[in-house]
Amino acid sequence: MSEPLFVFRGIEKSFAKNKILRKVDLFLYPAKCILLSGKNGSGKTTLLKIVAGLEKPAEAEIEYSGKSLSWKKAIRNILKEIIYLHQQPLLFSGSVESNVAYGLRFTSLNRKQRRESVIKALEWSGLTDLANIQANTLSGGVQQRVAFTRAWILKPKVLLLDEPMSNMDHESREQARLLLCRMKSAGMSIVITSHVPQYFDGLTDVQFHLSNGQLAESKFSASNDSL
Amino acid sequence: MNGLLLTTQQALQLLLSGDAELWSIVLLSFSVSLKAILLTTPLALLVAFALNHVNFPGRRIILAFFNSLLSVPTVVIGLFLYVLLTRQGPFGNLRLLFTQSAIVIGQMILCFPVLVALGYAAIQASDRRVWETARTLGAPTWFSILTVFYEVRFGLLAAVLTGFGRIISEVGISMMVGGNIMGYTRNITTAIALETSKGEFAQGIALGMVLLSLAFLLTAFLSYIQGKKEFTT
Ligand SMILES: Nc1ncnc2c1ncn2[C@@H]1O[C@H](COP(=O)(O)OP(=O)(O)OP(=O)(O)O)[C@@H](O)[C@H]1O
Ligand SMILES: [Mg+2]
Repeated sequence: MSEPLFVFRGIEKSFAKNKILRKVDLFLYPAKCILLSGKNGSGKTTLLKIVAGLEKPAEAEIEYSGKSLSWKKAIRNILKEIIYLHQQPLLFSGSVESNVAYGLRFTSLNRKQRRESVIKALEWSGLTDLANIQANTLSGGVQQRVAFTRAWILKPKVLLLDEPMSNMDHESREQARLLLCRMKSAGMSIVITSHVPQYFDGLTDVQFHLSNGQLAESKFSASNDSL
Repeated sequence: MNGLLLTTQQALQLLLSGDAELWSIVLLSFSVSLKAILLTTPLALLVAFALNHVNFPGRRIILAFFNSLLSVPTVVIGLFLYVLLTRQGPFGNLRLLFTQSAIVIGQMILCFPVLVALGYAAIQASDRRVWETARTLGAPTWFSILTVFYEVRFGLLAAVLTGFGRIISEVGISMMVGGNIMGYTRNITTAIALETSKGEFAQGIALGMVLLSLAFLLTAFLSYIQGKKEFTT
């Protein structure tokens, strides 16, 4: 078993007096996929946003490449290596192509490499014909595909997907699932929240259930032999 | 009645003949107020952003403070600045009283709360996910802020235009700390006040027409932007 990319220990989070997460631990391994389930309002989105560095936890200790860091120190690496995809994606005003290219300007790629990378990504996701369309006029399912492509192109070490595929039809879903499988075998660590675990058969390695602010390995997991 | 017709005719003549004195006053007004708005906008929008996105104690009080500044009379700002800049005042040795810089500073004070309050409203209308998406895709802080600004650009532009409309039409500050010196600090509003008090109506009316046309243009442009805003969101 390889070393975890990130370890989050003792995540605590409350909104006002409401304790949402109590001492949650999460280990993110390369080439592994976690499925996170839980009732509406159980705190799945909150947990993912904390792991993505978008929400500040009350308490948390992070290990990154073997070193133990405070949340404040870790945030830089977190933002660089982990990408969070919203339940309802937000596309910036501008074309599909400019959306897909958004994050590349913060990488070390030069203009030509960025251009090639965008063309390849659009092709791969079947968005080439839509490249010049205003992104936020597209249908929900296509917007989800654009958001997915926009994250995938950056090759993050960890991808957090909040209710992905909820708007996708069967065909796009199959395509996205295969792609996630490929990304996983390439070493990416994936966390998915979903109310429909069957969508992710063959992808999920372990299933956790969030309730009362605590995380427990779910007994109903399809294939949790490896963790 | 005949007199009014006559002065209006003279006013039009002044405007259309490209009267040098008149147009230099107009130019001065624009250059001073443009400086004020350009110098104020970046900081005011950053403050508006911080009030939206940074959770610190006293946030609401500061916001209420800026909102209450919206209705401060311009002569009070003028008076306040006069006291600071006068020879015996704390900044007297800067020799700024009765200069264009004094008017610029006064107008900056005047439009700052306007830009903060309206900028805040515009940014608040933006989706929190804009910021989160920018951050998670690796954008540094400054670029994420620009991304948020870009998404609400029409609201921000409306804020800036409203601020500009407010300062180019104010008279209290220009009069008190500018001093209405011809060719140096005499702008549209102080010229109107002065010419009228001298009983010279033609130039006053001509300048008034310029201000009115500007107000009309700004309003038309603002409603055009409003339409754009509704269309894009
Ligand atoms: N910014 C916030 N301010 C106050 N309360 C919040 C905030 N964000 C989330 N909450 C609360 O925290 C709880 C957990 O919300 P969260 O969105 O994490 O749930 P979830 O498991 O993702 O739900 P769903 O399955 O509906 O997506 C909810 O009770 C919610 O009302
Ligand atoms: Mg959720």
